[in-house]
Amino acid sequence: MTATLTAPAAAPPSPAGPRRRRRTLSPTLLAFVLVPLLVETFWVFWPAIQGVYLSFTSWDGVSPAVIVGFGNYAELFSDPTFGKAFLDTVLWLVLFGGLSALGGLGMAMLLLKDRRGVGFYRAALFTPVVFSLVATALIWQAIYQPDGLVNTVLGTLGLDSWQHSWLADANTALYAVIVPALWRQIGYVMVLYLAGLKGIDPTLYEAATVDGASRWQQFTKITLPQLSSVNSVVLSVIIIDSLRSFDVVWALTRGGPYHSSELLSTYMYSTAFQSLRLGYASAIAVVIFVLAFGVILTYLVRAFRDADA
Amino acid sequence: MTTTGFTRRSFLAGLGAVGAATALGGCVTSTGSSAGGGSATGPVTVQSNLSAPSAKQAMQALIDAFNKKGGSQASLNTVASETFRTQLPSYLTSSNPPDVMTWYAGSVARSYADKGLLLDVSDVWSGVTGYSDALKQISTDSGKQIFIPTSYYFWGLFYRKSNFAKWGVSEPTTWAEFLQACETIKSKGVTPIGLGADNSTPWVASGWFDYLNIRVNGATYHRELLAGKHSFADPQVHKVFDQWKTALPHFDPKGTALSFQDATTNLLQGRTGMMLIGTFLLDTTPKEDVDDIGFFRFPVIDPSVPLAEEAPTDGFFASSRTKRTQQTKDFLKYLTTVEAQEAYLKSSSGSSLPANPAAKDAGTALITKGKEMLNKAADLTQFFNRDSSDALQPTADAALIKFIQHPEQIDSILTDWQSAAKKIWAS
Amino acid sequence: MSRAKASRGKILRTGGFHLVAGGISVLWLLPILLVIVTSLRTFDDLAANGVGGLPHSFTLGNFGQAWVDGGEFQAMVNSLIVTIPAVIITLALGAISAFALSRYDLPLRRTVLLVMLAGNLLPPQILLVPVSKMAEMLGIYDTLAALIGVQIGFGLGFYTFVLYGFMRAIPGEIQQAAVIDGASPPQIFWRIVLPLTRPALASLSALAFTWVFNDLLWSITVIRTDTKMPITSALLGLQGQFVSQWNVIAAGSVIAAIPTVAVFLRFQRHFVAGLALGAVK
Repeated sequence: MTATLTAPAAAPPSPAGPRRRRRTLSPTLLAFVLVPLLVETFWVFWPAIQGVYLSFTSWDGVSPAVIVGFGNYAELFSDPTFGKAFLDTVLWLVLFGGLSALGGLGMAMLLLKDRRGVGFYRAALFTPVVFSLVATALIWQAIYQPDGLVNTVLGTLGLDSWQHSWLADANTALYAVIVPALWRQIGYVMVLYLAGLKGIDPTLYEAATVDGASRWQQFTKITLPQLSSVNSVVLSVIIIDSLRSFDVVWALTRGGPYHSSELLSTYMYSTAFQSLRLGYASAIAVVIFVLAFGVILTYLVRAFRDADA
Repeated sequence: MTTTGFTRRSFLAGLGAVGAATALGGCVTSTGSSAGGGSATGPVTVQSNLSAPSAKQAMQALIDAFNKKGGSQASLNTVASETFRTQLPSYLTSSNPPDVMTWYAGSVARSYADKGLLLDVSDVWSGVTGYSDALKQISTDSGKQIFIPTSYYFWGLFYRKSNFAKWGVSEPTTWAEFLQACETIKSKGVTPIGLGADNSTPWVASGWFDYLNIRVNGATYHRELLAGKHSFADPQVHKVFDQWKTALPHFDPKGTALSFQDATTNLLQGRTGMMLIGTFLLDTTPKEDVDDIGFFRFPVIDPSVPLAEEAPTDGFFASSRTKRTQQTKDFLKYLTTVEAQEAYLKSSSGSSLPANPAAKDAGTALITKGKEMLNKAADLTQFFNRDSSDALQPTADAALIKFIQHPEQIDSILTDWQSAAKKIWAS
Repeated sequence: MSRAKASRGKILRTGGFHLVAGGISVLWLLPILLVIVTSLRTFDDLAANGVGGLPHSFTLGNFGQAWVDGGEFQAMVNSLIVTIPAVIITLALGAISAFALSRYDLPLRRTVLLVMLAGNLLPPQILLVPVSKMAEMLGIYDTLAALIGVQIGFGLGFYTFVLYGFMRAIPGEIQQAAVIDGASPPQIFWRIVLPLTRPALASLSALAFTWVFNDLLWSITVIRTDTKMPITSALLGLQGQFVSQWNVIAAGSVIAAIPTVAVFLRFQRHFVAGLALGAVK
C-alpha cells in the first residue's frame, strides 16, 4: 500500500537521451526499499531524533526536562574526562580495529580450506563470541588478578618485573582490556571474511599457480582486490564495533580505575545511568555518532567511487 | 539524474523532519500522567531487587504467606539489582508503575519523594508500634512517611577470631591501638588491612571515607558534605585524608585489584588481618567458617566527637501512581509485622537485623554485638550513596581509588572531586 | 622418489597446520574451559579459594540450580521466541532492500544505503530511554513483541549493508539472462540472487542469531517482568546485591551458550557452499 501511494511521487521524469532499462520503478522494488526503511525509521530514527533533542536539554530521567541549548556541547569541551575518553576511543579504534581486522583475516585464511577438523577450529574461535559476557568477564578478571594466570605465567618465565595489577593499574587497564575484546571479536570478523573469501573463484588461484605466482603475490594480487567489496563491509563493521565497544570494557573495568580506561561509549553510559545526566549523555552520544559517521563516510564514498569507476 | 525534483523533495523532507522532530522530541521527556493506566483489580505488584537466590526465595515465601491470609493478593517480580537501579527512574515515571518496590532509606528515597513519586504511607506508620525514632526519621520526608524499613545491617572491622588469637591481637578501641594492632599483624608477615575495591566493587572504599569522616568531623558534617553544603576541597575533608594516610601503609597493596568477594577469600585464608566491610561478608563465607568471624567497632579518633555508626537500612516504598492504594498499604502493613520479618530472615542468610525490634534475628554473638553497637550509637548514617545519591557515588569511587593508589596527589584529587560533585549537585 | 617427498611434505604441512590451528584453538578456548571448571565447583569452594584458585570440589548441582532456580527454561524459551523471528524477519527485510539497492539503479540508492547504515552507528545506549518511553506510549512495553521489534529495527541497517556488498559482487550477466527470459524483479530475487548469496546469508544468520540471543541492554530496558526475560538478563538476575554465586552463573552461561554454538556449527557448513559462479561460464 505504501508503495503505490508513493510510487508516482518517486518516479523521476526521464532525462533526455538514452536511458537505462529500469527507469520506471516497479512498485515492488519500491516496497522492497521502503518497507525496511520504514521499520528502521520507526524503531531507530524516531528514538534517535528524540535522543538528539535530549542532547539540548538537562534531564535526570524523573523531573521535567530543562532546555539548555548548546550548553551540554560547550561543557564537553571543558570536560577533561571527555577529552580522555575521546583520545582513548581513537587509540581503541586504531589498536582494536586494526588488530581485529588483521587477526580475523589471518584466521580466515588459515581456516579457509575445508579439511578435517577445520569445523572444530572455526567453532573454537567463534565460541567466545557466543559465550555470555557475564561469565567470561569474571574469568578474565580472575586471569588478570595480581595472583592470577597472567602474572603467574610471567613469574614462571622469570619476567617478574612485568607483573602488574593489570586491570587496577591506570597505565595498563586500557591495554589489558583490548585482549579479551579481541578474543571476542576475531572469531566474528573471521566469519565475515570466510564468507567473502569463499566467494573468490578458485580458478583464479589455479591460473596464478600455473603462472608461477608465489603465495604472497597471490594474496596481494588476487585475494585483496577480490575482497574489496567485502572489505568495505568488514572494515565498516570493525569501525562501528570499535566506536561502539562497550560491553567488554564496561564488564571488566567500568571505565576505571578513575577513568583511565574510559571510552566515549562507557563515559556516555555512566553519565546516563549512573550520574543520571541524560541530556549530557545524549550530547556525548551525538559526538560518537558524528565520529563514526564521519570515519565511515569518507571511507565509503571513496569505496563507492572506486566501485563505480 | 533529476536535479530540481531531488532538491525540492529533499527540502520538503527536511522541513518535515524538523517539524516532526520538535513535536516528537518532547515525547521522550514526558513523565506520564498520574491518571495513567493500571487497574484497581489484580494483585499488588512487587518489584524486587533482592536477586540473590536465598533472598529471592525468602521474598517469595513472604509473599506466599501474605497471600494465604486471604484478602489482598501480591505478586513478586525480581530483577538483578544493577538492572533495578538503572531502571528505577523509568519504573517510577511509568504510567503503569509497579505498586511496591524495594529500595534503601535515606536521601536516595527522599529525592523521589520530593518529586512526588512516592505514596504517603504515614497511616501505615501510625498503626505500627515499637519502631525506633531513628527509623521513623529516616523514613520521613517533609513531615510525611514515604518508606517502610524492613531490615538493616552494620559495618565494622571484621577478622578471624582464630587468627587474632594466633597473632596475639586483641580488639583495639582507639586509633592508636588500631595502628598498634596493624604493626603486630605486620610483624607476623600478614597484610594488616584487607580491601576489595576493584573496578567492580569500588564503593567498598567509601566505607573508609564515611567512617573516617564521621569519626573526625561528626555525622552531621558528613551528611551536610554529601548534600552539597560543604566542599570536598575544605580543610576538614583534608583532615580526613591525613588521618587515612596514617593507616594507608598497612593496606593491602593489591586491594584495588580485588573484588570484595576475593578480598573476603584473602581474609578467610589468613592473607590479610581485617577488613572494613558490612555484615554481607557473611554471605560469602563458607558455613564452617561463619562462627570464626568476629568484628570490632571502627576505632575512636577524636573522643569529643559523638560516636555515630553506619547502619544501611533496606525496605520498601510504593508508587504514588498506584491504583491499588488500599491493597498496597495492606501489603506494606504486613511487611512491618514480626511474622513477616522473621519469615524473611529465616529463609535468607541471616546477616541482617529486622527493623521491627520485637522480631528475632539470627541471634549469633556477632549479630547481637552489632545490634548493641547500633543501639548505643549517637547517630546513624546510611552509607555514601544512600546519604547522597547514586549519581555522586562514581565521583567518590574515582577520587578514593586514586587516593589509595596515589596518596601524594590528594590536593588535586580533592579539587577534581569537588568539580565533579558540583556538576552532580547542580543537575 | 619425488612422490614420497611430496607426500612427506604434505604430512608436514598438515601436521603444521593442525599444530598452529590447534594451538590457537586451545588458547582461545582456555577462558571457556575456566568457566566450565567454575561451573563444576561449589560456592563454598569459591568463597574459600577464590575464582582463580585451584578447584577443591566437584559438583553437577549448579546446572540444576541455574535451570530451576534461575528459571532458565522459561528464559531460554523467551530467548528463542525473540531470536528466531527477529533473525528471519531482519534478514528477509535486509535481503530485499539490499537486492533493490544493489541490483537496480534506483535514485538516491546510495543515500538510502548510508542512511540505513547510519542507524547502526548510533550507540544503542542513547536509544534506550526513548525506546522504552515509546514502547510504553504504544502499550507494548514489557512484551516480547516490543523486544523483537527493537532487534529487527536495530539490526536492519547493518544487514542491508552487508548483503548489499555481497549482492553487488554478483555478475550482471546472470541477471540479464533472467530478464531476457522475462523474469520480474521478485522472481529474480527469489530464484537467482538469493541462492547466490547463500554463504553470506548463512554467516549473517549465525551472527544475527548470536547478536540477538546474547543481547542484554535491550532486554533489560524493554522487559520488566522476570518471567518474560530472555536468558541474558535472567543470568544477570543470578547476581545478588553484594554477593554473587559465580558457580551457578557459570553453569547458567554454559547452558545459555549451547543454542548459539549449535546454530554456528550447523550454519558453518554453508560457508562451504561457495558461490555457483560456474553457472555463467
